[in-house]
Amino acid sequence: MNIYIDILFWVRQKKWFLFTLLYGLVMYQWVSPPPDLNLAGYHALIIISMALILIITEPLPLPAIAMFMLFMQVVWGLDTANNVASSFMNDAVFFIMGSLMLAVAIVSQGLDKRLALGIIKLTGHKTWRIIAGFTAISAILSSFIGEHTVAAMMMPVGLTLVRYAHKDPRKVAGLTAALLFSIAYGATIGSIGTPSGGGRNVIMMNYWSEFGAGSVSYLEWMKYVYPMVIIEIPITVLILLWTFRPEQTNLDSAVRKLIIDVARAGKMKGREWLAIFLFILVFLGWVFLSEAFGLGIIALLGVFLYLAFGLVEWRELNRKTNWGVILLFGSAISIGIQMYDTGAAEWVAHIIITNLGRVIESPTMLQGSVSVLLTGAMSNVLSSSATVAVVGPIVLDLGGDPILIGFMTAIASAFGYFTAVAAPACTIIYSSGLVKSKDFLRAGWKMGVLSVVSLLLLSLIWWPML
Amino acid sequence: MIFWVQQKRWLLIALAVGAILYFFVPHPQSLSLEAYHILIIMLMTLIMILKEPIPLPAIALQVIFWQVIIGGSTPNEVGGYFMSDAVFFMMGSLMLAVAIVSQGLDKRLALFLVSLTGNRTWRIVAGFTLTAALLSSVIGPHLVTAILLPVALTLIRFSPDRGKGLVALSAALLFAIAYGANVGSIGTPSGGPRNVIMMNYWQEFAFTSLSYLGWIRRVYPMVLLEIPFSVWIILKTFPPEQQHMDSAVRHLLVEVRRDGKISPAQGLTLVLLALMLLGWVFFGEQLGMGTIALIGVFLFMVTGLVQWKEISAGVNWGVVLLFASTISIGVQMKNTGAAIWLAEGSVSILGSLLPNLDWVRAILSVGLSVGMANLISPSATVAVAGPIVLNLGGDPILLGLASVIASAFGYFTAVAAPACTIIYSSGLVKAPDFLKAGWKMALMSILSLTVIALFWWPLFS
Amino acid sequence: MKKKPTKIETKALKFLTAVSSVEYSKPTLKMGSLIASVFDASLGVVYVGEKASEFHGSSVNLTRHNLDNWNIIHPGLEVLEWALKELKKLNPENRDLAKIQFNPDHVYEEDGRVLVILPNEDGSRVELILREGELVNELRKEIQLEGYDLAIIGGSQNKRHLAHSLIQYLPSSIFVLQKFNPRVKYKLLLLVDDSSATSKSVKWGALIAEKLGWPVRTLTVSKTKRFGEGYMGAAATAKKYFDDKGIEVEQFFLTGDPVRTFVEFAADNHFVIMGASTLNPVKQLLFGSKPIKTLEQTDVPILIVR
Repeated sequence: MNIYIDILFWVRQKKWFLFTLLYGLVMYQWVSPPPDLNLAGYHALIIISMALILIITEPLPLPAIAMFMLFMQVVWGLDTANNVASSFMNDAVFFIMGSLMLAVAIVSQGLDKRLALGIIKLTGHKTWRIIAGFTAISAILSSFIGEHTVAAMMMPVGLTLVRYAHKDPRKVAGLTAALLFSIAYGATIGSIGTPSGGGRNVIMMNYWSEFGAGSVSYLEWMKYVYPMVIIEIPITVLILLWTFRPEQTNLDSAVRKLIIDVARAGKMKGREWLAIFLFILVFLGWVFLSEAFGLGIIALLGVFLYLAFGLVEWRELNRKTNWGVILLFGSAISIGIQMYDTGAAEWVAHIIITNLGRVIESPTMLQGSVSVLLTGAMSNVLSSSATVAVVGPIVLDLGGDPILIGFMTAIASAFGYFTAVAAPACTIIYSSGLVKSKDFLRAGWKMGVLSVVSLLLLSLIWWPML
Repeated sequence: MIFWVQQKRWLLIALAVGAILYFFVPHPQSLSLEAYHILIIMLMTLIMILKEPIPLPAIALQVIFWQVIIGGSTPNEVGGYFMSDAVFFMMGSLMLAVAIVSQGLDKRLALFLVSLTGNRTWRIVAGFTLTAALLSSVIGPHLVTAILLPVALTLIRFSPDRGKGLVALSAALLFAIAYGANVGSIGTPSGGPRNVIMMNYWQEFAFTSLSYLGWIRRVYPMVLLEIPFSVWIILKTFPPEQQHMDSAVRHLLVEVRRDGKISPAQGLTLVLLALMLLGWVFFGEQLGMGTIALIGVFLFMVTGLVQWKEISAGVNWGVVLLFASTISIGVQMKNTGAAIWLAEGSVSILGSLLPNLDWVRAILSVGLSVGMANLISPSATVAVAGPIVLNLGGDPILLGLASVIASAFGYFTAVAAPACTIIYSSGLVKAPDFLKAGWKMALMSILSLTVIALFWWPLFS
Repeated sequence: MKKKPTKIETKALKFLTAVSSVEYSKPTLKMGSLIASVFDASLGVVYVGEKASEFHGSSVNLTRHNLDNWNIIHPGLEVLEWALKELKKLNPENRDLAKIQFNPDHVYEEDGRVLVILPNEDGSRVELILREGELVNELRKEIQLEGYDLAIIGGSQNKRHLAHSLIQYLPSSIFVLQKFNPRVKYKLLLLVDDSSATSKSVKWGALIAEKLGWPVRTLTVSKTKRFGEGYMGAAATAKKYFDDKGIEVEQFFLTGDPVRTFVEFAADNHFVIMGASTLNPVKQLLFGSKPIKTLEQTDVPILIVR
């Protein structure tokens, strides 16, 4: 009797997995591939659509899905085991690995106390200025050290302020939401600014080089995209203040208590200077050497330096790095490349273009808006980097200038404002339990409109000037 | 600051050696610049691996970025060399070990093994060596090590020894597995991919061949000869303090009794393991060993027998990185021609010093293989050194066998053979331990190879 | 009223209460504490939080570690701290409980479960557990791990659609407080039929009635006019049991569709106790069972005894 219940329970937990298997089986066995698509491409499409269902419904842990994508490529004969393995690792995966490890190394230095003090010194005690300060600093920092690192460092500062402002943070819900969202949205909008802002940017760069679409240097990326970050910061502040209406206009006493807290940490120690110095080295490496050596290699060099100087223990890295996500991105990129090589991506792109072409006349507008809408929508369901890994090969096949389309996709993948799953920073503030999913919708749609409009302006006015 | 320099002096020495070679020493005429740079990276890595001034994963990271920065490859190329089916196989085996432990099967296996050997420590060590050797002839050393590692760890966990006694006991048991697996892997052609590579070379270069049984008849006596000596060496090098493991065994017995009969979950685990074994035997060639390992781990996660959290915490990812990076440098050595240069260079230097006789050729091929096997992986060694050895003249079968056998003598470092890397992943043995026991093992192996070559093989010709 | 010392099982019972938040979980906790004291059971309090998207799991963990440095604890631990305070208020006479101090740094983590280590917990018999993931899954794992006898679940969260899964998959008895109003004087309503779980539910009902002084009614429903021997026998046994304990009992025999009759009879001032279904699990999944349907259609507190 008990074993039946165990089996039934297993079926309940894995129903989406079983559904996916059934879907895959039907597509593989009984549905014949479309005439204008070759068999390998069709199989690649089946694998990727199965993986998408699994990722969204999450009946299995992510690494299991990663393994699924890897071995299905071999089992269905898309490529040999060694070729699949070698398409698994590339600069983007090195970068994701390196940046996850760097985050552990940087956050464990306790630099957040210094950061808090610095921000408060800049902004003063007025609530609106603090929120503006949080947004701007999160945005600027996240361009360089990645949004997950920034959110991990800023969260304690924000939460401490809220707690000092009122004993029960739920009583000052507006203030709490405004502060936390200033961290999350600040980090998210900032992450588009440079290639090192997020794994998704590096994935896009990897696709560019893999598909021979040319390359973009670190500084060029900033020249194209940074104006958008700068436009968005003040408007984000306004949106947050308008949506959440903080209960207190002045945070005098909270700020004073925070300063006392932070001052206990004492003067900067040699270790902390070293940590900052090493990061600056890595940053300079990204700016000047990334074209020759790749962003990922330099990130790994940074991790090596942190380990060699004893600033972080390997054991800590081993425990706190999300190895499953590294596997997932590796396999997602490898199937993405497979989609491109087999022509499956082109086939999908062709379908989208012909179906929407009747609606929208101008071709550049069409490609741009397709990539923005597709990416924006998917990044609210999937994580943003996974979106780029999956959508990248398709949008680069839409036609038009692949670099510009690529930029649009990378930028639009940061538009995951509506849900807590999209961006790491959003997940982090959601995990505090102090903001509700409703809040994401309330502020999110305004942020969505703002971002789409500013992307439009950027692509219509700024990019033609370059 | 001074303390840091003191701690990391071998890192600084390695970097200094690298810098001097890179900037001030011109590369040999017969060697391309890239190959020379790869050799520099190899040398730096070797110094670091032997002295371990920084954690091994950090050494893996420096292998990756040096290949791009001075090796002149693009990041994506290095990424490509970095990951191969073998790495997935290594990753999958480590994950499987976690799954076995999480289901408590390790205890049952350990009890089964102990019930065969009895409670005496030396007999248990011998049992592990023998099991590892016999199994690895059939299913390959990686897998055997991955399965036996948790079994040994269970015994170690239950042992009452603390401090020095525990260190010695763990070293003895773990090396019994690793060296046993290495010793056994030469026994049959299916003991490892390198044996298959050599079979191919015979057909390609020497137009002769050796049957499966012929291989076993020639080589298996050597395996049998080596096993008792290995046990003896391991016990001498890491003498366990306790002569008996009574209390550990009793503890184990209590644990297994408390678990009761095999639960459905454990039964399912066994079924899945058996399926994977069949998969490896029948589809290993077609789909790749690593792919099947991944399928297995996937099934374990789908059935909920093991949680990803346990896997993530239980797998030593640094070892995966290290293994991958040594493979990538091995591939680079081969591709740039550095390996051939090294092999031909040493052969020609030694060959000019010594007369051209059969036994000299044998020594050459053995020495070359041992040296390279400890530098790069055994398969790469055979792939690179094989053609050179076969071109030395003399009986290709004998020289080939000598070279393939010698390529299993990777006892010196944690990365020399996959089995060594896997036991290193437990964190219970230190990198210098490998050198401590390794040189004796190598000496013993070479001697027994000589004995076999002089007294056994002539019976066949 | 003559009283016989009641003995249920010799083994001490273990109850589990699921709490979700400071705002909504107060009645659940109160009832949990009350029922636990009735049965002299130890009480585990579990908080099942939402699991962060796996993509960002490590970033969230990193943030949590960093928050620890700032003395800001996991929101779930905050709820558990509150629950401990509440329990102390509810059981002022329990000295051991009063001594316990909550320390968020003293936690033990394994298998995706965080156990708060409470000093001197021997006499207090309280456990605080933090889990993250899907509710039914986590409760099931917790019950299997610790062998709880009863799971007490509040109705504040949207549990209606979970009713089916809870009853089908939780391996313990289940007590669902849907709209529990502490001020209403409840009547105990025992559903009696020929199933094997009836005798245990009669025992539990008697104990609750005895300790809380609630009036008891038994209800037996038959689909046809004729009441089978098993039904009448079960009702008579129940009557005898209560009489032995000196508890007054009203007995009702109604005809009609069982579930509809239960629901109508229970109205909103009964506290229902019924035995778990003995149907095979596949049939339960497809067609539902009496407890599942009853739970879906009524708002009163229901204790399903397994």
